[in-house]
Amino acid sequence: MNNELYSKLVDLYAGHELPAELEDQMELAAVADGGLNHEITTLRRVVDTLQSLEEPDFTEESYHRILMKLYARGADIQPQAPVSTHFQYNLPLQG
Amino acid sequence: MPNDALRDSLAEKRWLTALSKGDPSALGGLYEMYGERIFRYTFRMLGNRTDAEDATAETFLRVLRRSTELRADGAFRTWLFRIARNLCIDKMRQHKLMELPSDAHYSGSEERATLRVTVQQALSDLPIEYREPLVLCDLEDMAAREAAEILKISVPALKSRLYRGRRALRDKLGGTLERTS
Repeated sequence: MNNELYSKLVDLYAGHELPAELEDQMELAAVADGGLNHEITTLRRVVDTLQSLEEPDFTEESYHRILMKLYARGADIQPQAPVSTHFQYNLPLQG
Repeated sequence: MPNDALRDSLAEKRWLTALSKGDPSALGGLYEMYGERIFRYTFRMLGNRTDAEDATAETFLRVLRRSTELRADGAFRTWLFRIARNLCIDKMRQHKLMELPSDAHYSGSEERATLRVTVQQALSDLPIEYREPLVLCDLEDMAAREAAEILKISVPALKSRLYRGRRALRDKLGGTLERTS
């Protein structure tokens, strides 16, 4: 295959959508083609970086704040998870 | 269908049927199933916890309001994400510009946390038509077909935006990617 065709497959390579055999061929071709090498390396790094990022923490506080917003807007919603004690009682204000 | 997916599908059907019959407590079951995913999606779209919590709550309120129209036909998740997406777009229009989360919890090492902030900022700076496919496909690991349905575009159009988005993000991240390799 020629490098013109490989350049059209760069996006599929970046997203891990190509068969391993074709990936190997592209990587081999990229050794002698600086432009192709830059494209496949940098775009795959973008995808890998995105996929390796930690997910936003869905904290217990967020879980309950969303439930409270739903209650406040009139939704009759029953939490399936037990409610922590600090959400069950209002603490006295100091000062 | 894997056991987990089958179990989730049956549970979703049960909650949707209950909700469409007027059992409002069924919303709790749907919140348990999808609350975290919708929160994650809205957080990644909006960039801060407070707006993500608001958008998540409003998403489920809209489900409740339209509970009589619900059908357990397998398209609920797509519809749910569409609602969340529309709410995110509304909020972005209100804010005009995205802000970095000031109350975000970043786990992991300092280096990873820094990377996450940098990527979140770069994502926030992208035009919405590029950010959406990146969030759905590369961050939420959603299949192209479902992501296209949520965005109401064809699969080729989704892929085109996804590929352009990756290039745009690469250009914004620049040297950050070099340092992480």
